[in-house]
Amino acid sequence: MIERVLWLAENRYARLVLVGLMVLSLQTTVFNDMRPFGVCLQVMVLLAASSGLARGSDVGAIAGFIIGLMYDLVLTTPLGLCAAVFAIVGYLAGVGQSLVYEPTWWTRMLLGSIASAIGMILLPIASTITGATGILNTRVLFVALIVGLFNAVMSVPAERLCRWALTEQAAVR
Amino acid sequence: MDLRGSSVINFTRSAFGVVFRPIESATKVITRPVGNAWNGITHYNDVVEENHRLNDLVAFSEGSTISAIASVREAQELLSLNGLPTLAGIASCTAQVVGQSPSNFAQTVEINRGSECGLKVGMPVLNAAGMIGKITDVYNKRSVVMLLTDPGYSLAVKVVNIPAPTTTTTTTTLPGSPVAVTTTTTSTTTTTTLPRVTTTTGIPGFVPGVTIATSSTLTPLSGVSTVPAGDATPNQSGGSTGSEITVPPGLDVPLRETGALEGRGISRTPIVRFVENQPRFGAVRIGSPIISAGGATSLAPPDIVIGTVSRVVNRTGTLGPILEVTLAANLKNLNFVRILLYQPSSERVVTP
Repeated sequence: MIERVLWLAENRYARLVLVGLMVLSLQTTVFNDMRPFGVCLQVMVLLAASSGLARGSDVGAIAGFIIGLMYDLVLTTPLGLCAAVFAIVGYLAGVGQSLVYEPTWWTRMLLGSIASAIGMILLPIASTITGATGILNTRVLFVALIVGLFNAVMSVPAERLCRWALTEQAAVR
Repeated sequence: MDLRGSSVINFTRSAFGVVFRPIESATKVITRPVGNAWNGITHYNDVVEENHRLNDLVAFSEGSTISAIASVREAQELLSLNGLPTLAGIASCTAQVVGQSPSNFAQTVEINRGSECGLKVGMPVLNAAGMIGKITDVYNKRSVVMLLTDPGYSLAVKVVNIPAPTTTTTTTTLPGSPVAVTTTTTSTTTTTTLPRVTTTTGIPGFVPGVTIATSSTLTPLSGVSTVPAGDATPNQSGGSTGSEITVPPGLDVPLRETGALEGRGISRTPIVRFVENQPRFGAVRIGSPIISAGGATSLAPPDIVIGTVSRVVNRTGTLGPILEVTLAANLKNLNFVRILLYQPSSERVVTP
């Protein structure tokens, strides 16, 4: 039993869930109040993109799905909508990172920003596909721009956090 | 993907809420100084301006509140006397807004009351100013309210048109008198002057314009008693110079038209569609109040204040105008709200 608990504690996705809970609480409190230009900053999508930047496209997609699912549970959107979009964001960030020769801090910023902006565009598209109306308009681009800029600033520390959270089990031991 | 109404998904959301709420509450306490600092930096000037505006508003409102309360009570008594539904007969539950949606694409807020208070999906939510939305998700101790500005929101409403202030001049000749009397009637005032001659209406007893007068009694001004009362014949224009002219009640009741209110997102004002272009209703005037229409399938009981018409977009052909609405409630600054325990028939779960 204790072995199982230890295994669970060492599992990187279990750590990601704990980190995700912390970030989600920041998302629903302080970042929900701070709305520059009327846009709610999206640190959950940043976490998904940073997972891809930190550990590649495959891990990024799984991590993005988990993070998106947690976000879905506090939103009124259909369950699985953010999960699907954030999985794509994590995957794209990982693919982008793999295409960069000798990535630096600023390439990570750029990729985190672009992946976040893509996520902010995909989200209303996915919502529209699932039946929501009236949200796919030009404001989506503005939201994507603001979220992308903010997430560029925060992507370096977020990537380090995800690198730690998604460390392999053997490396932790 | 989600399956609406699935008990498994509802249970999962509730269970996650039970785990997540304490973490969220702790984070809220810890990060409150950060949020306050941010709001202090970005909204200080707005708060000062709003404070001044609200002080003026309070001073303005205090005087009219008492008479308004009296009018509302009289109206409620009249409605109940006639067996019509009133808001006073609907139980309500007061709640506090504890958060808004962290999404950029959903216009929802969260309140701290849930099924334990008797709340159900579809119930209308109001604040002191008027309607703000409806309940879309209910948990044990919290609920989610979809705001009027959400693109998914729609509600049957009534537009109460304000009668246009009109002026009508009638010139008549009194029998047996060389003097003609001209009566100028507006929606609120009546003046009588002495003109030269000329008669513009020959229909006895007909005074154009009185049907749109909002004052029920038209009294001639002093100094016009140039016509002896005995010379005037009843049922003729100006025949009762010395007495008052009484307009039958009911002709000045504001006209109403129904439409559908639709939200259009955070940055755009809601609109009212499907307003018919009826000649009797006339052109919709800016500032006309908009209230809920009620009805068996409506999401809200009748006569809840929603807002006023801020812009009228006329369309060609038989299409009626589209009305942009300024909401009475300030959705950016919600605190205490009232939920009417009124569940529309369209939102009731049909049990097999």
